[in-house]
Amino acid sequence: MPDLATTFEENATQAAATVWRCERSPLAIRSAVERAAENARGGIVLSEAEFLAPQLLAALPGLGGVILRPEDEQLAKAGVGVTEAFAGVASTGSVCIALGRPLVGLTSLLMPMNIVLLASERIVERPRDLFDPGCLKGEGLKRNLIFITGPSATADMGPLVLGAHGPHRLLILLLE
Amino acid sequence: MADPHLKPAAVEVPRDLANKSDKARLLRAIRMALEIESPAVRRNTQTFNRGRYLATAAIPDYDALKDQARRIKDKAIASLPELVQTLKNAIRSRGGHVFVASTAADACRYILDVCHWRAAKMVVKGKTITSEEIHLNHVLEADGIEVVETDLAEFILQVANEQPSHFIAPALHYSRERITALFKRKFKTDLPLDSGEALTRFTRERLRAKFLYADIGITGANLIAADTGTLMFVESEGNIRMASFLPPVHIAISGVEKIIPARSEMAPFLELLAASATGQSLAAYTSFLSPPLSDPAFALPGKPIKPREFHLVLIDNGRMRMREDPVFRETLNCIRCGACLNSCANFQTVGGHAFGGETYSGGIGGSWEAGTGKLENARFSELCTGCSRCVNQCPVRIDIPWLNENLADRLNRTVERTPLRNALGSVTGASMEDRSAPASKIFFGNYHYFAKWGARLKSIAHSIGVAKLAGLTSSSDGGGHAKPLRLAMERWVGLDRRRTLPQFANQTLVHAARKQAVGAGRPRGSKVVLFADVFTNYGLAQRGLATLEVLRALGADVVVSEAVPEGRAALSQGMIATAKNHARRATAELERYVSEGRDIVVVEPSSLAMFRRDLRYLLESKERFERFRARAFDPVEYVVKLLEKSSRKPKDVFDVSRSPVGQKLFFHAHCQQKTIGSAEPTEALLREVGFDVLTTNVECCGMAGSFGYKTEFYDLSMAVGADLFTQIIQQERSGGKRALIASGTSCTEQLQGGFARSVLHPIELLAAILRR
Repeated sequence: MPDLATTFEENATQAAATVWRCERSPLAIRSAVERAAENARGGIVLSEAEFLAPQLLAALPGLGGVILRPEDEQLAKAGVGVTEAFAGVASTGSVCIALGRPLVGLTSLLMPMNIVLLASERIVERPRDLFDPGCLKGEGLKRNLIFITGPSATADMGPLVLGAHGPHRLLILLLE
Repeated sequence: MADPHLKPAAVEVPRDLANKSDKARLLRAIRMALEIESPAVRRNTQTFNRGRYLATAAIPDYDALKDQARRIKDKAIASLPELVQTLKNAIRSRGGHVFVASTAADACRYILDVCHWRAAKMVVKGKTITSEEIHLNHVLEADGIEVVETDLAEFILQVANEQPSHFIAPALHYSRERITALFKRKFKTDLPLDSGEALTRFTRERLRAKFLYADIGITGANLIAADTGTLMFVESEGNIRMASFLPPVHIAISGVEKIIPARSEMAPFLELLAASATGQSLAAYTSFLSPPLSDPAFALPGKPIKPREFHLVLIDNGRMRMREDPVFRETLNCIRCGACLNSCANFQTVGGHAFGGETYSGGIGGSWEAGTGKLENARFSELCTGCSRCVNQCPVRIDIPWLNENLADRLNRTVERTPLRNALGSVTGASMEDRSAPASKIFFGNYHYFAKWGARLKSIAHSIGVAKLAGLTSSSDGGGHAKPLRLAMERWVGLDRRRTLPQFANQTLVHAARKQAVGAGRPRGSKVVLFADVFTNYGLAQRGLATLEVLRALGADVVVSEAVPEGRAALSQGMIATAKNHARRATAELERYVSEGRDIVVVEPSSLAMFRRDLRYLLESKERFERFRARAFDPVEYVVKLLEKSSRKPKDVFDVSRSPVGQKLFFHAHCQQKTIGSAEPTEALLREVGFDVLTTNVECCGMAGSFGYKTEFYDLSMAVGADLFTQIIQQERSGGKRALIASGTSCTEQLQGGFARSVLHPIELLAAILRR
C-alpha cells in the first residue's frame, strides 16, 4: 500500500497540480522556488510562516524578485505567491491553507502561479480527517480553512480551462 | 391572435419561457431546447454524470456517508428555528450581522439598505442561485448600482439576459461556439475568441478590475454551521474567494435550509458535494470561513481603507411553510449538487430552460419553484417521468419522483372537473379526488381498465377469426394515415398516433396459466406467486408464461395471481388516491399467497419497483410495505436465487447453443430495474450462461411508461431514445448484429419502434434455452 505522500502526489498530479519533492532545507526550498518562478513576471510575494520552522524559509526573502511588505497595488500585479500549507489530503491531492498569518489568503489567490509549501507529516488521508478534534491538534475545526485542489479552473466556456480567476498553476513543494 | 405553438422556436427567448405556469409555454420551451440547446446540454450533463459515477465509486463508504449526511439534515430541519437563533448569536458575537428575511422583497430591501449605508456603486457577485430566486440583480440595478456577475457561467447569462439552466453550471446549455458568437455580438470585438482559453482570458481580464475596485462582494453559501457561524463555499474558479475576501463588505445570501447544527458535521458534505456535483473528488476550492475575517480588506491607491463588515441574509421565502408540509419538507434536505439533474434522461436532453422554471430546474426544481413561489410554477415537473434514476444518486436520499408525483397530484386538483373527465373517471373507477385530472392522465392512470377490455375484444376477435377489430389491435400504418380510433385517442386522451400501441394478448397470462396448471401437479420447491401485472397479463403474456416455465423447471411451486393494478400507472399520473386504492387491492390479492410463505415474482420492472419502493407511501404502514418489499423479485433475479439455493451452475440448467437469437446480445435494463438493483443479476446470469452481453449506459430509453406515448412529449421521448439507438447502432457497426433484450414493456416498445425488430425479455430467452 503506498504511503500518504505517494498517494498525495498521484492525486494532486491527477488534479492538474505539479508536485516537486523537496529536501527540507533553506537552500533547497529557495532553489526550488527560484527555478519555479524564473519565467514569472511581476515579482514574488511570500506569506508569513506558521507551521514550518522559520529558519527553513529564511533564504527566501533574499531571492531576486521577492517583494517584501508589498502594497496592495504590487499584490495585484505580482506573478507568484508562495503560501504555506496547513495540511495536505492524500485521497484528493488537496492542500489546505489556514487563514490568519498575513498574505496567506492573497498569495494563494491573486497571482497566476501559487507555490505551496507542504510538510509531508501534515498529510492526512481524507478531507474529513481535518474535522476530527484529534487531528493536527483540532486546528481544522477552529481555523478559516481553504482546501485547494489543483489550479483554478472552469468548464463554463466550453472545454475545461485551467486558470480561471485564481492561479493558473499550482506547484506544491512536498517537504520531506 | 397567433397560435403560440406556431411561433418558430429559433426566435424564442429563454427568459420569456421561464414561467411555465401554462402548458403551452412548457411545450414551446421543449421545442426551443431541442432545436437550440440540446447538444451542449447533453454533452455537459453526461460528462458530469459519468464523472459522478466514478467519483462516488471512489468514496469507500459512500452509502454510509449519505446516511450520515441525511441524518444531519433531518436533525437540522427538525430544529431549524433554534439553529437560526444559535447562528445569529455566533455571528453577532464576532461583530457580524444577521438578517432573517421572510420574503424575497425583505431580503432585497435589506441588501439595498446595506449598499446605501456603504455608498456602494458596484457589487461583485459569486454564483448564488438564491439571489436569482429573490431577483436581487433587478432590484440593485434599478437603484443604479452596477452588479457584476463573476462566475463565468453567470457572466454569460448576464450578458445574454437569460435565467440559469442548471444549479451548478448555470450556462451549461451554451456551447463554446454560441458563447463566441454572443460575446462578439455584445462586446463588438474583433478578437477571435475561438477557444475556451481565449474566452476565459477575455472575461477574466474584464472581471479582475471589478474585483479590485468593488465596494461589496455578494456570495451564496453551500452550508452554514450554526455553532460557529462557519460558511462553506464550493467553487472551481476562485471568484467566490475573491468576492468574499477582497471587498470590505461581504454579504452572504442563503436559504435557511442550508444551516446545519455544527461545523464538525460539515465533513460528510465536503466529500459528497463535489463528487455528486461535478464528479471531482473535491472542487478546486472548498472554503470554510467564519466571517468577518481578520485579514484587512484589499485597498488599491485612491480607495479608502475600510474595516471588514459581514452580513448574512437568511431567506425564508416559503421554506418554513415547506417545513410544515408533510411531503415538501423533504425538499429542504436538498444541497443543490445537481446530481438529480445530470442523471435524468429528460434533463440531459433539454436542460433547465425546458425542464425548469424561473430559478430552479430539474426533478427537484419543481418543489423549489412551488415552495418558494406558486404551485403552478412547478408545471414543468411533468417532465419527471418517475424513472427514478435520480433516487440513488441523491447524496441526501431525497425521493424526487415522489415529490413530483405529489406536485402532479396537487396540480391535477387545481382544475375544474369536466363531463368528459367525470365520465372517464367514473367508468375506470378512478378515485373521486382524481376525477379533475386531465383526460389523458385518467386514461393512462387507469390503463388496466382499457387493457382488460382491449384483451377481451382481441380474444373474441381471435376466437371468431377476425384479425383486426376496430383498430384496437393495430396502430398507425406508419404513413400518418391513422385509423379513426387512433385519431380520436390522440384528440381525447393525447395518445400519439405515431406510436405503435402495445399489442393485447390473444390469451391473458391468468387464463393461459390456469389451463397449464390443470393436471400439472405441484412441485415441492420454493413457493412463488407470479403477480399478473397489467402489462404482462393483458399484453406480453408470453413473458409471464416463460417465467412460469423457467421457475417450474427449477423446481419452484408457482401459482399466478389475479390481474389487478398495483398503482404504478395511477401514481405516474399523480393520481395518488387512485394509486392507493390500486395498491391496497393488489396487496389484498397477494396477502393469502404471502401468508402461505410464497415469494412474489413480478415481470414488469415498473410494477416490481412499486413493491420494492413506492408502496411505502401508499400502504397504511411501513410494516405492511416491508411485508411485500422483502418478498418481491424480478424473474431472473429469482432464477439466480433458486440456482444458488440448489447449488446448480447456470450452464447445468441453460444451454446457450439453443438460443434462437444467437449468442450476441444487447441488453437494455429498465430504468426502475436499475434503481432497485435487479438489473445486475440479469446481466451477470446471461454472461454466466455463455452469452456475449453488451449493455447501454443510458439512464432511460425515453419511453418511461406512458410518457413517450403522449403526443405532447413524443418528440422529447424520441430525442432521449436517440442516445440508446445510437449506442446500439455503433456497437452493431463495429461488432455485428445483436439480439435486443429488454425487461421493460415500454423499453421494448421504444426499441421496437426504433429498430422494427423483435425484442425479447431475458426470461423468454432463458426459457428458450432450458436444457430439457
